[in-house]
Formats: sequence, C-alpha cells, structure tokens
Amino acid sequence: MATQLAKVNEIIDKYPARPSVLIQLLLDIQGQFNWISRETIQCVSDRLGVPVSQIYRVASFYKAMSLKPRGKHVVNVCLGTACHVRGANRLMSKMEDTLGIKPGETTEDKKFSLERVNCLGCCALGPVMLVDKDYHGKMTPARVEPILKDYK
Amino acid sequence: MSELILTIDGKEVRTEEGKSVLEAAKGAGIDIPTLCYHPALEPFGACRLCLVEIESQGRQRVVTSCNYPAENGLNVLTRSPEVLELRKGVIELFLAQAPGAEKIRELAKEYGVEEPRFKLGAPDEKCILCGLCTRICEERMGACAINFVNRGVDRQVETPYQVTREIDMDVCRACGACAFVCPTGAITIEDITPKTPIPILSEFEEGLAQRAPVYIPFAQAVPNKPVIDKTQCVHFATGGCKACEAFCAPQAINFEQEDEVIEVEVGSIIIATGFDLFDPSVIRQYGYGRLDNVLTSLEFERMVNSAGPTGGHIKMKDGREPESIAIVHCVGSRDENYHEYCSRVCCMYSMKFAHLVKEHTGADVYEFYIDIRSFGKGYEEFYNRVLEEATVFIRGRPAEITDIAETPEEEGKLIVQFEDTLVGKQRRQPVDMVVLSCGIEPRRDIESIARLFNISRSADGFFLEKHPKLDPVATMTDGIFVAGCCQGPKDIPDTVAQASAAAAEALAMISRGTVEVEAATAVVNEKICTGCQLCKQVCPYSAISFDEQKQVCRVNETLCKGCGACVGGCPSDCISLNHYTNEQLVAQIEGALF
Amino acid sequence: MARLNSPEALEKLRQEITAGRDPDKPCITLCSGTACNANGSEKIAPVFAAEIEKQGLKGEVDLRRTGCHGFCERGPIVVIYPEEICYLQVQPGDAAEIVQSIKEKKLVERLLYKDASGARIAHEPEIPFYKNQQQVVFGFNRKIDPRSIDDYLAVGGYRALAKVLFKMTPEQVLEEVKKANLRGRGGGGFPTGRKWETTRDAPGEPKYVIVNADEGDPGAYMDRSLLEGNPHSVLEGLIIGAYAIGSHQGFIYVRAEYPLAVENVNIAIRQAREYGLLGENILGSGFGFTIDVHRGAGAFVSGESSALMTAIEGKVGEPRPKYVRTAVSGIWDRPSNLNNVETWANVPLIIGRGADWFASIGTKGSKGTKIFSLVGKVNNTGLVEVPMGVTLRRIIFDIGGGIPGGKKFKAVQTGGPSGGMIPEKFLDAPVDFDELTKLDSMMGSGGMIVMDEDTCVVDVARYFIDFLCDESCGKCVPCREGLKHMREILNDIVGGRGKPGDIELMEGLSKIMARASLCALGQTAPNPVMTTIHYFRDEYEAHVNEKRCPALVCKELIAYHIDPARCQACMICGRECPVNAISGGKGIIHVIDQQKCTRCGTCLDVCPARFRAVTKLSGEPVPAAIPERERVLVREKK
Repeated sequence: MATQLAKVNEIIDKYPARPSVLIQLLLDIQGQFNWISRETIQCVSDRLGVPVSQIYRVASFYKAMSLKPRGKHVVNVCLGTACHVRGANRLMSKMEDTLGIKPGETTEDKKFSLERVNCLGCCALGPVMLVDKDYHGKMTPARVEPILKDYK
Repeated sequence: MSELILTIDGKEVRTEEGKSVLEAAKGAGIDIPTLCYHPALEPFGACRLCLVEIESQGRQRVVTSCNYPAENGLNVLTRSPEVLELRKGVIELFLAQAPGAEKIRELAKEYGVEEPRFKLGAPDEKCILCGLCTRICEERMGACAINFVNRGVDRQVETPYQVTREIDMDVCRACGACAFVCPTGAITIEDITPKTPIPILSEFEEGLAQRAPVYIPFAQAVPNKPVIDKTQCVHFATGGCKACEAFCAPQAINFEQEDEVIEVEVGSIIIATGFDLFDPSVIRQYGYGRLDNVLTSLEFERMVNSAGPTGGHIKMKDGREPESIAIVHCVGSRDENYHEYCSRVCCMYSMKFAHLVKEHTGADVYEFYIDIRSFGKGYEEFYNRVLEEATVFIRGRPAEITDIAETPEEEGKLIVQFEDTLVGKQRRQPVDMVVLSCGIEPRRDIESIARLFNISRSADGFFLEKHPKLDPVATMTDGIFVAGCCQGPKDIPDTVAQASAAAAEALAMISRGTVEVEAATAVVNEKICTGCQLCKQVCPYSAISFDEQKQVCRVNETLCKGCGACVGGCPSDCISLNHYTNEQLVAQIEGALF
Repeated sequence: MARLNSPEALEKLRQEITAGRDPDKPCITLCSGTACNANGSEKIAPVFAAEIEKQGLKGEVDLRRTGCHGFCERGPIVVIYPEEICYLQVQPGDAAEIVQSIKEKKLVERLLYKDASGARIAHEPEIPFYKNQQQVVFGFNRKIDPRSIDDYLAVGGYRALAKVLFKMTPEQVLEEVKKANLRGRGGGGFPTGRKWETTRDAPGEPKYVIVNADEGDPGAYMDRSLLEGNPHSVLEGLIIGAYAIGSHQGFIYVRAEYPLAVENVNIAIRQAREYGLLGENILGSGFGFTIDVHRGAGAFVSGESSALMTAIEGKVGEPRPKYVRTAVSGIWDRPSNLNNVETWANVPLIIGRGADWFASIGTKGSKGTKIFSLVGKVNNTGLVEVPMGVTLRRIIFDIGGGIPGGKKFKAVQTGGPSGGMIPEKFLDAPVDFDELTKLDSMMGSGGMIVMDEDTCVVDVARYFIDFLCDESCGKCVPCREGLKHMREILNDIVGGRGKPGDIELMEGLSKIMARASLCALGQTAPNPVMTTIHYFRDEYEAHVNEKRCPALVCKELIAYHIDPARCQACMICGRECPVNAISGGKGIIHVIDQQKCTRCGTCLDVCPARFRAVTKLSGEPVPAAIPERERVLVREKK
C-alpha cells in the first residue's frame, strides 16, 4: 500500500497542483494500477485540494476509470455502430458466456475484466475487440476462446 | 446597472441588466414553476420546468427562463400552448421517475397530468436528481459531502463509497442544508452522515422550536430585524455560504458588522434589567431536564401561546395531548434551600395556566400550592372562577416527581409524590405532564450592574431602592432609578406603575433644567494631596477621580453627597468638607463652650 | 535542432530536406494507422528492415511508416514509391518477396488489388476505392511519416503558417477563411470564419483555441486517422487560427481511447517547439503560442462544446446551461474557439492554396471536401474523402464497392447517434450539410454506416438509444428519463411485447426530448428513432402488430428451423450447439428443440453452405417436427 501511494505521489508530482489536472492525473493513475483505489482518491484530494466527492464523481462518470479493482487482462468489446451491424452483440454474448461475467465485472480469479466500449475507432475491422493493448479485428464468436487462451 | 424592459405574457416588465427571465418574471409576480432553481445557487437548467417561449429578433424559441438573460424588447410567453405541452411532458417524466414525491404529484395535478404512460419508478422514490442538495453542499456550504455519481440513466446522488456507514471519509457537517433545499423531501441528514445533527434551538421559544442561524429574535422585536448568530452561521465557520445575501433584495446583509460600544451622555438612568427564571434542574427530585414532559412555566407559556412553536396546542413530547397536568407552585420560592421570598406572580400565572388548559383541552389540572396569594385587583375573583372550572387544588409541596410506577395505573405516567397537608397524608398523583411554576430571581449579571452603577442590593439580591415607602424608585445615587423585577418580584401592573414613576422622576429632573447639588461637599487641597487614591476607594458615590497629569485626586461636586467618608480616610489630611472645615468646627465648639 | 528564426530559415531548411531526398529512390511505405497496426503492420516493419539489409539494399531502399491510407479493410497496406505500387493485406512472410521485386523491378501479382472482374490493379491511385476520391486533406497521410516533421516540411508543411505570420494580418486570415466558406466538420456545420470572428471580437483575455478530437460518434474515425497520420497539419491549422483569433494558448482534447493519436500529437508538438514553430516568438514573428494536450476519459457527451470545456477545467464533462456561446464564454469563462480535427486540418490548405481554390470544390452551401468513414455492410470499408455534393450512391457503390454477399442495400446511417437512417430511395441525393439535414439526418462528423437487408432498423434504433442511455450525462430530465423510457419501449418492441400505441408514444416522447433537453445530445437523441419510424414505419408495425422481425434479427421474434428436406444429418450443428438443443444423430435428420434454443445462431453459422438447411423464421409458426420414422435419412448410394 505504501509503495502504491508513493507511486501515486510520483504521478501527482508530474503535474502542477491545480484542480484542472484532475482528469489527466486520474487517467495516469488508472493506467498505472488499472483502477483507482480509495486511498488514492484520498491522496489526490489532499494534494490537489479537490473534495473527495468530486474526485469520486469524476471517476464514476468517465468510462476510462474504474473504482473497482480490475483483472490482469481487460477485454474491451467494441459495440460501435459499425461493429453492431456486423454482429458485435453475438461476440459480446459469447464473451459473457466464456468468461461467465457481464460487462463491468471481473472474473473470480481476477484474470479478466470485461468492458463494453462504444467505438474503438477501427470500424473497418468490425467486430473488434481490444485485449489489453492488442486489437483483434473481424472477430467471430468462434475465435473468442482461442484468443483468450493466449492470455495467461 | 441599466434598466431593461421586456414583455412577459403581454405585461410590460422592468428589470435590471444581468437578471434572468425567471427573476424578471418573479419580480413582476408572474409564476413560473421550477424544481432545480434556487436563488442562492447558479442556474442549473436541469429540471426543464421553467421553459418559456421567447421571441427575439423575429425568431421563436423555447428556452429555460432560469438562465436566459433578460433582454430589452424580449417577448416572453410563460404559458403558450407549446410551453404547456412540454411542461406537461416533463412533469409526466418526473412523475414516472419519482411517484413518491408529493411536490411532483401536486404539479401533475395542477397541469392535468394523469397516470404516466411510462414504467413507474419505485412507489417510494422521491429523488428527481435536481441537484439542489449537491450544489448547496458544494457551492454554499463548501463541504462537498454529497455529489452525483455515475452518469446517464444510472446517475444518483451519493456520498463517496456510501460513507453513511463509515466515518473516516465523512466531511459532512450535518448542517442540514441538503434536506432543507430538497423540493421533494427525498433526502435526510441520516442518509448522508452518521453524525447526529445538533439543532439550533430558539431562545425565545425556550428551546421548544428550532431557528435558523439568521433569525428575527422574536415577533415584534425592537428593532424588528434579523440578526446573524455568528456561532452557528456557516459563513463565519468556513467563509462560504452567504445564501442569505442572495435572497436579500435590498442587499442589507453585512457580514463585516461588529458589536459596537456606544457612549451616550445622559442626565439620568433608569435601570430595568429584569429577572431570571429560577432554574428548576437544581431541584433534582423534580426531574426537570431528566423526565420528558416536566416543563418550566415559561416553556408552558410558549406552548399555550397561539403564536408559539406548537401553535397553541398543548402537546407532550410524543405529540399526544395530555389527559392530566400537575402545576407545582413555589418552585424555588418560599423555600429556604433556594429563595425565601415569595415571587408574587406564580400563583396567578399558575391559575391562568389551569384556565387555559381547560379552554384548550379536557385535561384534569392539579395545582400543588402552599398558600394561594391572590392579592391584586380582581385576582381573588379569578381564583374562584378557576376553582369553579373544577381545577383540583392540593395544599402541599410535592416531594418528588418520578416516572417509576408502583401500580398499573401509574404506568407510562409521571407521578407526583406529595403530602396533602389538609388531610395530613402522603399521596401519589399520576399525571401526563408537570408544569413547574418557577420563581423569579435576580439576573445572573446583577452583581456587575450593581457595581457599575454603585447601587446597593438587598438581602434577596435585588437592587435596593432609596427608601421602600418614601422613595421606592430612586437609588442612593441621584439620577439613577430602578423599575421592574430588578428591584424585586412583581407582576405587570406593579411594574408598569413603578416604571411610570421612575420615568416621571427622570422627567422632573429634566424639566427643572438644573440640578441641586449638595452644599456640603468635600474638597481636596491639591497642594497637599499625595495622590494615594485612598479617598477614591472609600467614596460610596464614585465622586472622586484621579487626575493623572497633576497626580492629585479631585472631587466631582455634583456627585458628592457630603458624607465625609473621604475626609476621615485621607491620611495626609488634605480633604475637608465645605461648611464643616476644621476651623468652622472649632469655632462652633468654641461658641458652644464659651 | 536549432530554432528557426525567420521564414527564410524555414525555406532554407525545407530545401535542405528535399535536396537530400531522391524522388526516384524506391521507398517502401507501410501504413501504420491503428487499423493496420491491429492487422499486424507493427510486426511487419522490422521484418522489412531486416529484409532490406539482408538483400543488400541498405541505403538504396527507404522504409517509411506512414499514417492511415484509408483502405483499412485491406490492411496492412504497403505502397512502393515512386511507382505507387500498392500491396494489400501484406503479411510478414511477404516481405522478402516484395523487397526482391523492388530489386528486380517486378510486381508481386498475388498481393495486388483484384477488381470484380478479377483483373489486378498495381498502382494505388487507380484502385477504384481511391480513384473516385479527391484526397485533399487526407492526401499527405499516406506519404509522410507522422513522427517526422521533416517529412511534413518536405511536402510544403508550415508554409501557410509562415505566409500568415509575415504576409497577412489576422483580419485578412479571418476574411480568407470566411471567403472559403469553411464549415465545421464536427457536427453542426457552423461557418468556421464566423465562429472565429465571434471569439476574436468577444471581450476578455486570454482567449483559447481548442481542437476537438473527442471523436465519440461510433463508426467514425477520420479524426483519429488525421491526428495519427498527419498531426502537423492540425497543429499548423491551429496556430493559424490562434493568430487570427488572437489566442496564445491552445488545447487538444483527444479521447484516451486513441493512444497512438495522443503519442503522435505529443511528438509533433515537441518537434514543432524545437523548430520554433510553437512557443514564444514563432519564426521570429513575435507571435507566441503554446498547446496542451488533454486526454478525454471516455464520455460521448464531452464532445459537446461546453461539456468539453468543462472537462478541460478538470471537472465532470457535463454541458453547461448557458445561452452565451462558448465562443464568447468558454474555458474559465473566457472566449474559446472549438473546432474539430478535420476542420483545423483544412485551414493550412485554404491559406496555402487560397480561398477561391477551396470554394471551387463542393456545392453552393458546403465547400471543400469531406472525409467519411465508410463502414458497416460494405465491401471496401475505410476512410474516403470526396468533394461535398457527391451522391451517396457514388460513395457506397463506386468507392465502397457495394454490399458484400450480393445482399440488398437497405439504408445508410449518417451523423452518428444524432443522425438518421437514409433509405434506398435517397441514394442519389448529394451529400452536403444541407441536403442531409433535409433528409432528417445530418453530416455529423462523417460516419457512414451502411446497412443491408439483414439489418433490422428497430434493432439499430434500440442500439443507438442504448448507446445514448449509457452516454448521456444524465443531468436534464427529458434526456435522462426520456431515454430510459424510450429504451424500455424499444426493448418491449424487439422483445415481442410491443403494444399498439407504442410507436405514437415514442413519437410524443421524441418531441419532448427534442425540444426540452438541455444540450444537443438530448435534443438529437430521439433522431435515430424518429427517422426510422419515418422511413421504416412498416417494420415497426410488423414488430408490434405481427410480432415479426422482417430482417430476422430480433432474437425474441425469430426461430431457427432445420429444413428436413435439406438437412444431411451431418451432426455439425448438433455438436456446436451450446445448449444441446438439437436432437438427431448420424443419419437422423436434426430437429431444434424450440424450448431449449437460445437463438444464438451458431447452427446457422456452422451449417455447411452447400446444405443451407438452417433457416430463420419470424412471424410464422415453426413447422412441426417431422414424425420420428421419417427422420431416418436414406442416402442415395452412389
């Protein structure tokens, strides 16, 4: 925990201590830890002078931030329009069945988190999913299991 | 600020630049419904109820009046068919969202919205997410304890991590502003914080009602103006809030104002500082402060007052109307443990209470007295009338008031334990409510006032008048008079009489235009005076002052009564009394002897 | 790198760069946009580098990773200059052959574009997808390395900036943009010049200029490709705009979902600063300007101008209830001018080539070109740039190559969640701001999602409403509650629980939402429902009245059925069925148990195309299973 807070402080030190940097800061923290913990919020609040409830609100408002710990791998299934018309829903159903979780949840073994995104901006490759930093285009339900196997 | 003229519903409305259409309409008495608007908060534009149709530069538009700036020549329609249709649609959405909100149901009725055609929210749902609570908490109170969380259809008002159950992140001051502004009663302080809110009790209502930190002390206060209680006001605690400022149209609120000490030069002073009510909590056996429904006479007085906190309804703590009331006389008076004197007013006001109880309720009244002292004009007649109203008078001072029942009939009641001295028996009387007729005692600061004005006090602690029969309003110091209960317990007619007398005495001095001073006054021989100031200490009239420059004492001849105390007290023998100098006295003695 | 202190120094540098480059020297360019990266472009680059070395061509053949070429469907794309030979769907294994072919001046036939007739096309500009486009804004994307400012300078970059700073007054710049009649490419199509002027004339200092790269419309990604592929053009446009407006501080608001764009734009800013094209005293002109990159954290509503500015202030990106334009009172209540990426990227072109040239492209009310992201059920998906006024048919059929699988075109969705669906009968309508609005849709940021006959419009409408439920900020009642009920009703309709009157109820609700909502998101939220009801009312009615989904999409309204006459009892579907709803064995005709079936569609997917035994039914009863004894399949002995 102490090391985590040290890292958080390091991130905060990169920015001027102004409330306007809040979102950038939280994005960095999210990127570092994959989620934003309660201690982190308290720490950011103390350093920036922004009330806890405002930080909590920001973190709950934006899709890129998570207030719950996430799995080792984050699976983002794109449900943009282009992907939708090409059957992204069936991909999502398959993913839900395979992982046994709904979007926004994390598997019990903390290996995968499932998220729905509203467009990854690779519409030509639809249906698309993003696992961590790897894009997988032209997905079919049948490809779900083999791909997930590669993520240990 | 320049004036703007616009038309609202065909009526010409004048307003100032910078005002919104809503403010302009309100100023002209035109009603526009709102839910998320509050004069002390920035416009939020979320409830969409204040929609109006405007015509500006030939274009017609529907806008929210709460944040649309008033413009010259703007034509506003607050109830056009379009506006009414949209408003109806919005109310229908609100009604489906929060079917439990009384305010919404009222609006629905007003606008003819029947059962919503959409799926209803939970029947007890009241929150309409207007954001008044979160905004007052942030913008005014500066606490930011609650906020919106999530977005879209999942938006809610919450504390971070629902801290109502945990205290460590709790920044709520339990000020209650959120619950206060909530239009639908959806929020309570218990939802927000585990802290127990400490209510601000109204002094005038004897703590039976709450008041705001900014308040008018009591009806017909002089001056009849609100005051800010610095110890409670959030602004003085945090520098924020200032909501009252937003409401005050004449901008009369001044947060910088300080208490001032004003010096006024006057010729005479009438002291009418009043009294304190005896605090019955020191009589432990009467249970005041410990037992609900044991009240002081002043609390009861507020309760039976139709302008009081209960609107004149006699109510117990649980809201029920009592079926029996005991009134205990001489609480703190005629009691060698507290005050030996009779407070003079208690018998009569106790009987007035009995009369009022009979008038308001059907409760039985028991008066516990030592002697009935109904000595004034018409008082005895009133006593007889109260007797006829079937008030039970019991002669005997109660020994104890308790809630420990000994018989089933006493369950849930207060029991007055007393000796009925007419029968000579110990008895117990169960009642629902007990009123303690507390006596009058000198004000707690009477000592310092006495010292300030150099007035003596009698053995009972009240101010001592110059002469009980010959000069009952004057004091030993010329020009200082006393009136009312500061001089001793008395009822209103006596007080009025004494006060009139004091006023007359003061006026007599003024109309005379001159003050007769004592011929025989003390005089200091400044050549010999060493400036030891012993004389100053012994002077009972504060007539001697010390001249810092010359380092000598000097006598104020208008104050000096020629008592000679200083003459005898001067160690260097430099003070003499006019007409009573050593030479004169020696001459007199010589004349008498020879 | 030394700072450039005068326009002459800039030109000198440019000459040095071009002089060092041989236009005839072969150069392998590799598309490195996100889509091509996703297809493996990242892995191919080192393979090419190694191969060049291995074949002893080091120094003779250049390798350049460029921005997005647009033809994302066929990525990764490799183009060999100077001939512009285009290879599609290149894999690491193809590198050796390609390098070899350069050496031998040959073509790798199998990687070339193949047209409908089967003929191969070698040169990129001749591929129909490109041939019918007019790539003006997007053109440099495929020629330059987005991480090299020298590449941008080599194609004439920052020349417009030098011209503006030394030969034009701010007023002249403003006039030029107004004369070009450039309209905002982000959504509403507001005239850019007028917007600039408002900010310029508004009282208050400092003034801000902002690039909106919070491209939230699902199905649109041209801003991403521009920012990734040619960030300097956006920076140059922004600096020119700042000069015209009198601003010294700019912001670029990029979605955090676009990490490559964030990276490339940061690199570009650093390079520009090193060359003295940003910062104090740009090119010695005395004009100073700085840019901060602000990452958006995933909120569609933050694309709304006031919400975006609130987000830049570090707060929750919610629209502000103000009737004062953000151009007058924006970030920290200061005048702030917001344009999207594509709009800014047009600015250097207008200055460089003149307003008259720009105004010569396009239609009366809409000048210049527009980049569309052509996606969905279309053969050639990707980014296409065409002059305003080109017809939908030309975009979808000539450039896009029509609908795959011989299916019928049904509608094209434009303008994102705020736009509408345009049916077949308007295919010949010219595409510009005003024409699309006439068709109850809008330009939006340029998403164009093609739908074929297998797309259910009610399902798409529900999709958009679902999207908006998630993306609305939830502040005002009509939008938040209206969307909630709209979703409820649509779910009922696609779920077979629709009631008569539901369509009318949605129409009524749409009006309240459109007129009473706080911001543009809420006001346009009912559009997907409104236009689909308008153009495809019969489909809604089929759902509500007949409980039938004409496109055979809505799960609760369809059934899968195995045609006993076609079933060859191969057991594939039975094995794949996730819920074991298919009975039958080897030689026994398969039957789907409708009670167990979850309508996942797996059986239809796996049934071999030559059998086509699985069919979808809607609005009609599923034929009863054939009697047990008839299920035994008697195969004809060969």
